Amino acid sequence: MVTFLIRRLAAMVPTLLLVLTISFFLIHLIPGDPAAVMLGPHATGEQVEALRHAMGLDQPVFVQFLKYINDVFHGDLGQSIFFHKPVSQVLLQRAETSVLLALCSMVVVLLIGIPTGILAAIRAGTWLDQFFLTVAILGASIPTFWLGLLLMLAFAVKLQLLPSSGFPSIFETGNITNLRYLILPSITLGFANSALLARMTRSNLLEILKEDYINAARAKGLAERVVILKHALRNAAIPVVTVMSFTFAGLLSGTVVTENVFALSGIGRLVVESVLRRDYPTIQGIMVVVSFLYLAINLITDIAYGILDPRIKYA
Amino acid sequence: MRKWVIGAILVGLVVLGGVGQEPQQGGILRIASIGEPPTLDLMVVTSDLASSIGQHIFETLFTFDKNYAPIPLLVDTYERSEDGTEVVFHLRQGVLFHNGKELTSEDVVASLERWKNYGVRAPIFFKNVTGLAAVDRYTFRIVFSEPFGPMESLLAFNNGGPCILPKEVAETAGPEPISPDQYIGTGPYKFAEWVPGRYIRLVKFEDYQPVTAEPSGYGGRRTAYVDELRFIPVPEAGTRVAGIQADDYDYAMDIPADLYDAMVADPNINTFLLTPPIFPLLFMNTKEGIMTNQKLRQAILAALDMDPILQAAYGPLSEANGSIYPKGTAWYTEAGVEAYDQANVARAQELAREAGYNGEPIRFMASTSYITHYNMALVITDQLKQAGFNIDLQIYDWATLVARRADPGLWDMFLTHHGPVPDPSLLTPLSPTYPGWWDTPEKNALVDAFNRATDFGERYTIWEQIQALWYEYVPVIKLGDAFTLDISSTQVKGLDDPHHPALLWPYFWNVWLGS
Repeated sequence: MVTFLIRRLAAMVPTLLLVLTISFFLIHLIPGDPAAVMLGPHATGEQVEALRHAMGLDQPVFVQFLKYINDVFHGDLGQSIFFHKPVSQVLLQRAETSVLLALCSMVVVLLIGIPTGILAAIRAGTWLDQFFLTVAILGASIPTFWLGLLLMLAFAVKLQLLPSSGFPSIFETGNITNLRYLILPSITLGFANSALLARMTRSNLLEILKEDYINAARAKGLAERVVILKHALRNAAIPVVTVMSFTFAGLLSGTVVTENVFALSGIGRLVVESVLRRDYPTIQGIMVVVSFLYLAINLITDIAYGILDPRIKYA
Repeated sequence: MRKWVIGAILVGLVVLGGVGQEPQQGGILRIASIGEPPTLDLMVVTSDLASSIGQHIFETLFTFDKNYAPIPLLVDTYERSEDGTEVVFHLRQGVLFHNGKELTSEDVVASLERWKNYGVRAPIFFKNVTGLAAVDRYTFRIVFSEPFGPMESLLAFNNGGPCILPKEVAETAGPEPISPDQYIGTGPYKFAEWVPGRYIRLVKFEDYQPVTAEPSGYGGRRTAYVDELRFIPVPEAGTRVAGIQADDYDYAMDIPADLYDAMVADPNINTFLLTPPIFPLLFMNTKEGIMTNQKLRQAILAALDMDPILQAAYGPLSEANGSIYPKGTAWYTEAGVEAYDQANVARAQELAREAGYNGEPIRFMASTSYITHYNMALVITDQLKQAGFNIDLQIYDWATLVARRADPGLWDMFLTHHGPVPDPSLLTPLSPTYPGWWDTPEKNALVDAFNRATDFGERYTIWEQIQALWYEYVPVIKLGDAFTLDISSTQVKGLDDPHHPALLWPYFWNVWLGS
């Protein structure tokens, strides 16, 4: 296992380097200039050139790339052109929102996805199964934009039970009740993302429930609840864990629509804004961090397989 | 009879409730904005949002009253020499920066020097400046090679303009925007904090030294009643509206036109149509390509029916007005306007024939970064195709469009909008270097004469000639006027005062939170 871990961690380095290289050159291929975007339409060509020179953007692309790689290996992700702050600082400020939103949304995903998948499986072919399948399709089909605004109108405007938008930092204010700002966005995201988990849980559980050892367990007189939750669900877990892990990774990095609707300053919104502003260092920093997250979650998922199924061994 | 009496009592209560309402101190005014500005260094950017926020921190030598006429702000008095080339300014005394330092002429000269080197709108001002120097602690002098009519307007316009900084900040500032710890001005609010993506906080400057004159627009006495202004980026318009309704925000900027009726009908919301309006412009490439043909440009102008174009983008918050400046402003004129909004397909086709147009593609750029631009582009394309023009509509994000329009080989027309400017000298179509490149001897001569004149009557006469030429040469087509809609909770007081008109960059001094 240790060898496996070391090998996987070592393999992350060339992967991240490749991501860095591709993203750097791809971003610089996009037309548009951060200096021109920043100064606006009334700036003269000379003013734009002066700012480009001050920012180092007039250097050859390859020179900029080498400087950037050198900085990254020294732990420096560069300075955001838009925020005039280290990219690492900009990302850290967004991390709280993104991580907490992803965790809260994941709770909603699990609370909706797994029970509905189980119930749909054990009542397969009945009206309950059809009902849960319909709910799952609705979840996958309803635009998060629309659902978010609807929840906002209902719970924030009409009932005045929850805040409409924004999220004051828990770390800065020390106020844990600020989590209530994430309730509506979490439900919005959780409902949309629970559909796939529900369907995956249902279909895998259905396969497992046909196995001989399930019949044997029932024949032994075990309670149905024990048969389902202890024996069947565990064996159906591996594909479900895969879906959960990639859902979580997606929630961490790509929820721009929900972040826009609820005015949350997360990573998703930062990516889109940075691309529109041509804030190259921030875009590259996000690429590196998100790639690392996906690799790390992938690794954790592989380790989880070994725990769930003792037959899986890592050399 | 009874109902009449009850009604009269109710009206009386409402009137009495409004009259004599004393401003209240304190509180945090939460303002939902459309996003974040690129910087608050107003000299080097022309972002409207930067001006909306930064104007509370930084002040200029002049400012604009409720009629959008320039009046002194940091300047107390000034005199012009007889030939109009030399202007001596006397500063108000005892004005303090946010770091406690008194404003002197050295700070002004250093700020103007920095503006000269890096300010976005400085080239127009400094084109004919031959001297700039401090005379004594509160006096400085500017010398021009010839009289310069727009002087006060340019010194008042903070958007890419000469905001006054402490000397030690101005002297070390280069082309890059100054950092937040250098946001030191003389305004009624001082910079406190900028948490990216969350808010920008400005707090009351307790030692602010206001002008004593009655408030009038941006001018006159500025009083900071609320303790803190908090600008919160809320990109989604529906969320800004819901936030006002849910009492999470007090003021919300830039509400879409299709929500206007609903906002007016809501008794808990006040609506504001900001003036002067912005105006969408269709720029023609007069430097290279098919649009160098004046007859063809006139043909495009003849084909356009402005009302559907404006309705597609701005709905009821638009007006088909051909004068570059709207009615009620000092520069309004109808010179040349008979060519506006012709909607005459036959005339357009005749002009196109005279131009020798044979159906060549006309490359038309627009951006989805501004949904109003995109909506207008679709209608314009349809109208022009109906008139027989071969339009190649190319849609880009704004940064890409800006990059492409710098190359005259890549486009024939592009769509943008223009913010109101206090003086025609600031209109981008009049700049020979702005994409479109209207650079003809006749126009340049008129603009030079316009800038040399100091008497308003004389300047107005020349402006009429410029507008008439604009409609004859057609370097740019003005599509109409569009009004920005902002809203506030009814708890926000002072915004509906006649001395506090809703101007394009909303301002929050002389504003307080009611109970």
